[in-house]
Amino acid sequence: MRTARKLTASAALAVTSAGLLAAPAAAANAAPVGGLEVSPSTVTPGTTVTVRTTACGADGSATGDASAVGAGTFALAPGKRPEAASGRFEVPPSAQPGTYEIVARCAGSGPDDGKQVAGDLSVTLTSTASAREEQPVPVPVHPRGHVKTGVGGALGPDPVKTAAGVAVLAVAAAGGTWLLHRRARGDRI
Amino acid sequence: MRRTHRTQRRGRFGTSVIATVTALALSSGAWLVYEGTATRPPPQPSASQAAAPGHGRAGLTAAAPLPPSPPDRIRIPAIDVDAPLMGLGLTHQGSLDVPPSRHKNLAGWYEAGTTPGERGTAIVAGHVDNAEGPAVFYRLGGLAKGRVIEVERRDGGVALFTVDAVEVYDAKGFPDEKVYGAAARPELRVITCGGAYSKETGYQGNVVVFAHLTGAR
Repeated sequence: MRTARKLTASAALAVTSAGLLAAPAAAANAAPVGGLEVSPSTVTPGTTVTVRTTACGADGSATGDASAVGAGTFALAPGKRPEAASGRFEVPPSAQPGTYEIVARCAGSGPDDGKQVAGDLSVTLTSTASAREEQPVPVPVHPRGHVKTGVGGALGPDPVKTAAGVAVLAVAAAGGTWLLHRRARGDRI
Repeated sequence: MRRTHRTQRRGRFGTSVIATVTALALSSGAWLVYEGTATRPPPQPSASQAAAPGHGRAGLTAAAPLPPSPPDRIRIPAIDVDAPLMGLGLTHQGSLDVPPSRHKNLAGWYEAGTTPGERGTAIVAGHVDNAEGPAVFYRLGGLAKGRVIEVERRDGGVALFTVDAVEVYDAKGFPDEKVYGAAARPELRVITCGGAYSKETGYQGNVVVFAHLTGAR
């Protein structure tokens, strides 16, 4: 939990500083201010994430940087939607939970060349991620080996059923004895 | 020995009641003793329930993943399973922990992993038996392909999975990746003990049911 908070704090700081740097540049270019849209913004490790930005202008491409989460760099190409560049990267299966800053730097010869935009990506393990983080030793993503889910109790004799059976047979024996006794007495049955 | 008609009639009636009770007691007692002393292993999957070549996809296509939500209950109508689910962690050896064996109608799910219905492999495990006798997944090995597994989720929805395969694996060389590994679609594994049994080592493997999400309600 503490690690995650630290990551969140540092990422937030990075976003703030990136925003401070990017804002004057955008204003100077009189271009629409666009951040980096990260979708989905909350993911589990191993998920593919799509990022999109309108900050690089028409037909603008960009280079994305997801090294904060361990995914390296990736390309953002002009998409179908005008003035938007998009790209994809995969969050490594080994990614730790926390909030990471994803950065994209516009490329090309236009006025937006070199402009940098950023967006946040949250990595969670599951809805119970917090419970897992409290464990001192990191646990593997999935269990190993077989599961010990039986002792063989279904295989042995069932003492309750056997005892009930014996009791019921005793009743039968008593009834049988009585009937035989009656017959011996000469009663017609 | 002199008797009135009435007492004779009553005597006859009493005799036939006792004769009936005796016959019933004889047959039910014999059945109880037979059942109580019989040693029958839990059902095991037949070869026809193994994954079909071609990745074992059942005819039904996969449903869209659901948002994460912890499960509360599992139902498998085909084998009369209806049991609450508890969260499970890992043992020191890294294997999946199991629910306390004294509760015979209780199963568990691996709560650090995928929730059932979400994209990925969700894992559910339960006992085949405990010291007293059969437990929640006693009949799991008898489950057939195409049967439905329902998982009640805390968000109020029910995830519906369809069985793709029922396999039995030896503890030695257990196929971890196949059973627990990540999946691109929402999948479910239901695991219990199975395989050969010996007094020294217990059950020597696991019955594993492979299923994938085919619907929700």
